[in-house]
Amino acid sequence: MTEIAMQLTNVRKRIGNKEIIKGLSFTINRGEVFGFIGPNGAGKTTTIRMMVGLMKLTEGDVHILGKSIKTEFKEAIREVGGIVENPELYPFLTGAQNLKQYARMIPGITQERIDETVKLVGLEKVMNEKVGRYSLGMRQRIGIAQALLHKPSVLILDEPTNGLDPAGIREIRQYIRKLATEHNVAVIISSHLLSEIELICDRIGIIKNGELVAIQAVKENTPAGEQQLLQVEMEATPLEKALEVVNRKTPAAQTNGKITFQTEKENIPLLISDLVKENILIYEVQVTKSTLEDKFFDLIGENIID
Amino acid sequence: MTNFLNLIQNEVIKIYRLKSTWAMYVILALIIIGVGLLAKTYGDFMTYEEDTWRETLETENAEYMKDTEEFPDMESFNSTFIEINNYYLEHDIMPESYGAWQFVMENEMLLSLVSLFTIIVAAGILANEFRWGTIKLLLIRPISRTKILISKYSAVLIFSFITFLFVLLFSWIIGGIFIGFDGMNPHIVLEKGDGVEYVPVIGEIITDYGFSLVNLLMMATFAFMISSIFRNSALAIGLAIFLMLAGNQIVFFFIERDWAKYILFANTNLSQYFNGNTPMMEGMTLGFSVTVLVVYYIIFAAITWIFFAKRDVAGH
Repeated sequence: MTEIAMQLTNVRKRIGNKEIIKGLSFTINRGEVFGFIGPNGAGKTTTIRMMVGLMKLTEGDVHILGKSIKTEFKEAIREVGGIVENPELYPFLTGAQNLKQYARMIPGITQERIDETVKLVGLEKVMNEKVGRYSLGMRQRIGIAQALLHKPSVLILDEPTNGLDPAGIREIRQYIRKLATEHNVAVIISSHLLSEIELICDRIGIIKNGELVAIQAVKENTPAGEQQLLQVEMEATPLEKALEVVNRKTPAAQTNGKITFQTEKENIPLLISDLVKENILIYEVQVTKSTLEDKFFDLIGENIID
Repeated sequence: MTNFLNLIQNEVIKIYRLKSTWAMYVILALIIIGVGLLAKTYGDFMTYEEDTWRETLETENAEYMKDTEEFPDMESFNSTFIEINNYYLEHDIMPESYGAWQFVMENEMLLSLVSLFTIIVAAGILANEFRWGTIKLLLIRPISRTKILISKYSAVLIFSFITFLFVLLFSWIIGGIFIGFDGMNPHIVLEKGDGVEYVPVIGEIITDYGFSLVNLLMMATFAFMISSIFRNSALAIGLAIFLMLAGNQIVFFFIERDWAKYILFANTNLSQYFNGNTPMMEGMTLGFSVTVLVVYYIIFAAITWIFFAKRDVAGH
């Protein structure tokens, strides 16, 4: 299953004297959803543009299923579908006419395939309307539809949930997951919405100033052997007594009428049972785990994200 | 090959789905109808009868003479008409009435509008993709940029050809409806480089329209090139139209210089080598002009290709 879908080797981009991308090397496997995040201007879009051959690489190479984007462009790009920046289609053509345009460019796309893709993104009803009248969410969907027409092995989506309503976001999320697990597609997503990335992606790559700062798996973000401390927030009365009980085990503080402390996961039920024994009324216990966002800010420094 | 035809089909569809394209045809149709109406209303066309056409021509000549006496400035103008009429009389040919084919011939000036529209389409076909942002989706297909470029250029030529035919056909139909159809192969006497000649109207149309195609092709290719360099249609349209209008002035401005004959616009009018016309400058021949045109064409095409195929597609 860990077949490499896309491989970047020492990818560099220099414009004038300025090095914008400083030697990126990483791989994305088939069946994996890879999140690509970083502050604006970090080089996300430039990297994506190089992945799809819109920009030339100053140095290094990108291989898609083993085919070089530099020397075997047609074979490599045949396996790629994507949206680069905004989902921009011809505003004066209808949805159906737009998809037909893209279908004509790659041999073997039948009308059935078009219909199937349209159904997948749920745009059947507006296919005969001009894309210029579409909402941003509808444009995202049709953008995804054009990217999927030729059944690519690598799907590149720039901010795919941008402009979608919560229901739409969930749908797209489920759909992306399905593509990855069932159809073995490698999906590359760039986003600013870190919580989004966390929900969809298997792995994320964090880019800052044209350099890859970190790559990490989302699901198991604690190195083995190291216990993870959880941030716990508790509402209980009487407050003073509760604070005293918690303090026996771990240093606790009082903020906004709530007790906050850090502890390991298995300590939480013990603490609760202690509190109950002391006849303290517990209204709410909330665990706020250390999120990707915190890590992200740790890695890139909070001040430079905009 | 199917793939390439598909690409051209895509481009042609995009041209004809734009409202601005239809506006062009509406403008052309309105102008042709307008000219037809004017011709019908104010044109005092002589109709020549089998028995009386000789007398009619004599009367016309007498009127031209009288006119010249009153307005001596009109002499060269009127003497041409007299010469033409005399040709008919001397050769005993009955002049044919004015009709659809002659109307088409006189509408040749509409071809400068066709040139203008072709320039607009050529300038937009690349630049618009950049403006709409669709260029990104267009270029991430398994098709070389060269092929995309050629398909777009082909679509411009197809548009130009269709518009060209539209002007021809619509003029003929309007001319026929308003003035009358004048048979399948009418002949008239026209003033040529060396005196008046009896010529077929359709032949005249083919050569006149044909010669104007040279300029059209060069200007469209030029606009296409500017559009590829600057990715901006307004600039491409502006420059191409400016050159189309100012081309002859540019040549005359530099006419004393040796290198003036190498200016594109000194060579776009190939009719200077036919019908006994004298070339614009010494040392110019048909072969010379064709060579100059081909060299310009290759340069335009090469620059267009280099800028389109070799350059990064960056942000807006």
